[in-house]
Amino acid sequence: TEWNVSLWGKRRAFTEHVEKLAELVSEKTGGEFTINLAYGETLSKNRENLDGISIGAFEMAQFCAGYHPDKNRLITVLELPFLGVENLEQEVAVSHAVYDHPAVQDEMAQWNAKLLMTSPMPQYNLVGTGEPRDELSEFEGMRVRATGGLGKAFEAVGGVPTSVTASEAYQAMESGVVDTVAFAQHAHLSFGTINQATWWTSNLNPGTVNCPVVVNIDAYESLSDEHREALDSSVDEAIAYYLENYGELLQRWDSVLEEKNVQKVVISDAELDAFRAKAAAPARDAWIESITAQGLPGQELYDLVMTTLDKAKMTN
Amino acid sequence: MEPIEIGIWVSSGMLVMVVLGMRVAFAAGLAGFVGLVWLRWNQFDYDPDRLWKAIEISVKVAGQVPHSKVSAQALSLIPTFILIGYMAYYANLTKALFDAAKKWIAWVPGGLAVSTVFATAGFAAVSGASVATAAVFSRIAIPEMLKIGYNKQFAAGVVAAGGTLASLIPPSAILVIYAIIVEQDVGMLLLAGFIPGAFSAIVYGILIISIAVVFKSVGPPVGGFSWGDRFKSLVPAMPIVAVVVIIIFFVYNPFGDAWGTPTEGGAVGAFIVFLMALYRGMRWSELKSALLETAKLTIMIFTIIWGVLIYVRFLGFAELPAAFSAWITSLEMSPMLILVCILLAYALLGMFMDAIGMLLLTLPVVYPAVMALNGGEFVSAADSTFGMSGTMCAVWFGILVVKMAEFCLITPPIGLNCFVVAGVRDDLSVQDVFKGVTPFFVADAITIGLLVAFPMIVLWLPMLATG
Amino acid sequence: MASSASVLEDSSLLSKLDRGLEPIERFMALISGLAIFSLMFLAAWSVGGRKFFGAPLMGYVDYIEAAMPLIAIMGISWVQRDGTHIRMDILVGNLKGRVLWLFELISVLLILVLMVALVWGAWAHFDRSFDCARPLCSRDSSIDIGLPTWPSKLVVPVAFGVLCLRLVIQAIGYGRAFVLNLEAPVAVPLNLSVEEQARLEAQQLAGHD
Ligand code: NA
Ligand code: NA
Repeated sequence: TEWNVSLWGKRRAFTEHVEKLAELVSEKTGGEFTINLAYGETLSKNRENLDGISIGAFEMAQFCAGYHPDKNRLITVLELPFLGVENLEQEVAVSHAVYDHPAVQDEMAQWNAKLLMTSPMPQYNLVGTGEPRDELSEFEGMRVRATGGLGKAFEAVGGVPTSVTASEAYQAMESGVVDTVAFAQHAHLSFGTINQATWWTSNLNPGTVNCPVVVNIDAYESLSDEHREALDSSVDEAIAYYLENYGELLQRWDSVLEEKNVQKVVISDAELDAFRAKAAAPARDAWIESITAQGLPGQELYDLVMTTLDKAKMTN
Repeated sequence: MEPIEIGIWVSSGMLVMVVLGMRVAFAAGLAGFVGLVWLRWNQFDYDPDRLWKAIEISVKVAGQVPHSKVSAQALSLIPTFILIGYMAYYANLTKALFDAAKKWIAWVPGGLAVSTVFATAGFAAVSGASVATAAVFSRIAIPEMLKIGYNKQFAAGVVAAGGTLASLIPPSAILVIYAIIVEQDVGMLLLAGFIPGAFSAIVYGILIISIAVVFKSVGPPVGGFSWGDRFKSLVPAMPIVAVVVIIIFFVYNPFGDAWGTPTEGGAVGAFIVFLMALYRGMRWSELKSALLETAKLTIMIFTIIWGVLIYVRFLGFAELPAAFSAWITSLEMSPMLILVCILLAYALLGMFMDAIGMLLLTLPVVYPAVMALNGGEFVSAADSTFGMSGTMCAVWFGILVVKMAEFCLITPPIGLNCFVVAGVRDDLSVQDVFKGVTPFFVADAITIGLLVAFPMIVLWLPMLATG
Repeated sequence: MASSASVLEDSSLLSKLDRGLEPIERFMALISGLAIFSLMFLAAWSVGGRKFFGAPLMGYVDYIEAAMPLIAIMGISWVQRDGTHIRMDILVGNLKGRVLWLFELISVLLILVLMVALVWGAWAHFDRSFDCARPLCSRDSSIDIGLPTWPSKLVVPVAFGVLCLRLVIQAIGYGRAFVLNLEAPVAVPLNLSVEEQARLEAQQLAGHD
């Protein structure tokens, strides 16, 4: 069996679990089941990876919920601002709990897609040009590259979310189309925004983006028992590898800041509380209301995230 | 069968269709679609029961491409650049430019011809397409040159060659297309075209002056303009300066932050030319025909783009580009020699094909090979073959290829610019124009040689901009 | 440059169909043109808003992306009508009579095969993004302001459908020319020499300077 995976960009920390998965599966099946990683959108545009899965153009793909909320309404719960996720382990726990919910699986099944694993990302913090913005009042009129729920959060405090794709973020910052860019650390490195920045918010932690890896259901079901077992059993190991690798990157981060002469901005608790009050509850209520109005279990999913998060916080 | 073999068969089939005269866009799209079906059915071991499934998947994959690929913000530059050119014409900017160039530089030997070259270079700064520039200047510049006794063939050659400058000097539709196929920064490529374009114009100028010095009859100097005349002539040409400044500052502002993205710059430039055309009394009927002509050219270009991208999607599944670049890098030849061979192949192909079609068909395979030759997409200047980083190699190769494509606009047998000039002037045959344009082959060959030998001519400005 | 060939007309049914479709095609091309025109104002608004009022146009990129299929695809049939889509005519340019019509016929039929497939595929692409059980019928939305994508996806199969009609007319035109051995058939773009094309182009630009 040979599978193709549709990915965008180049190989980076964000794709290491897929690399590891391919390696493990090939090992376990003695090379009988190979997974080819196709980077750089050669198989599909990133915002159409779900379409490709639904067609059967390829068997596996990665995408982010915020690219097209209407395609995946339910998992956008994981992109709500200020959920309070503190680390990647917690992010994995809440993501996989949501992925396991029947309503979520049902929505993905409409795309012929089965959620395999998440690509956990740390909280999206801002890099910016010019004077550091460490007070809420300074977010007024700030043009910020932030998508989905995060964009909404910045909008709530007077920011102007401006959507450019990840690959255009550098140019947008350089040309002043945006003042700040919200990314995870690996993306600030990979897309070069850190090279434009003069400051980075170390503790804003407004939320993150959720990017699952999915497989085509038909392809998954037509696997032999042995191959399916090889795939399923490799997920945890692949995620563990991803976490380890990302952890190393995070450890390097402070020295990167120093090297690039980027100031680390710490925002006071009072300012953070004020931000949360303005952005978190309204976004959550609006999300639950809109999802429930469409006959879907909005409240239930939100509660699931919260209870899972509490449990995860107790265990680590 | 191996996917690569299917890739080679399908690509050959596409070339046959193109040679037999099928419209390029559809030949590429059909080849891509058939290739997708073949690959998928091959994957199903040619099981007859699953042929329909293979077709269904391929139809859906191919059917996604047109919408998916044209819905890109960066591509909106192409129609904008074309629209600027059409409206600049209605805004009377062409005549103003020629007049200013004449008053300022016609005093040199071969004065009017040199003025023509610099006026076409100026118009190039608002026009995104070469052929349009040649057509417009045939009407303005040739009569004036003939009036003072220029050789008819030479006058026609000057205009045909000058027209080619439009695709290097930004805005340039073809540079945008290159940038998008190879996924490089559009702004950087536009910026990179500026100096080689001006450089080409200067080489043309030097060539004309030399010819005029040797053969006194070719082009006498034209003098007698006062400084007052000269400065007055600049006023009507000012909007061009405004557009140039805007486009440049949107891409790269030497004094601070750029004003915006190239896309916005192009559109704001078009807006200014539009206001100018309104001021000159453009009517709705003229605007409508400008819009229809722009739409026609735009759709023609975009059809090639999505058609070829269906083929490219197939190539992605067939893994052909990787195989070709592995082959190129395994050749036992010096990389520079390989690069020169590639450029010569473009010169040959360009004799028979349209520039845009040529780039779109070949780049998906040739570009990765050239990048591999230099040491890969992410190579640093120090570790590379040609002494430049991956990004800079992409920029350099882009300018070289576009210059080659422009060169082909004046070479027989299908040098489109020459046909256009002959078409505008009833008293000139195509042979006349080809004869008159011959000296400019030499100029272009020198220019290309210098751009290959001294990449800094191309790379200085983009390197300055990226710091 | 766009080069247009001429399409002959007479009183036959085929020519009537050709002339009946042409205004629709031209209207669709004009929509493309107006969409291009609107890009200018959109950018002026976006830049002006950002530079002078501190209020950029929300969703600028989303609007442009939604407009691109109108710009790039809507008028495709009009471009096919007069043979503006480029090709290498070094071979067909030297053919005459029946052989030429046969080549043209095969070429048009091949394009028709492709376009029928693409109408189906583009419709499926639209259909995946469309579900009227949901708000705004949207099952796929843009990244920034959540614009439904189905209207812009619908443009493609519609434009391609009209192109299929045009191709059927051209196939009949060439087929008729081949069977009856006509010299100057109606309803198809006549194959002009490069010189003739260039002269036509020059005429388009005439009289404005
Ligand atoms: Na130009
Ligand atoms: Na040529």
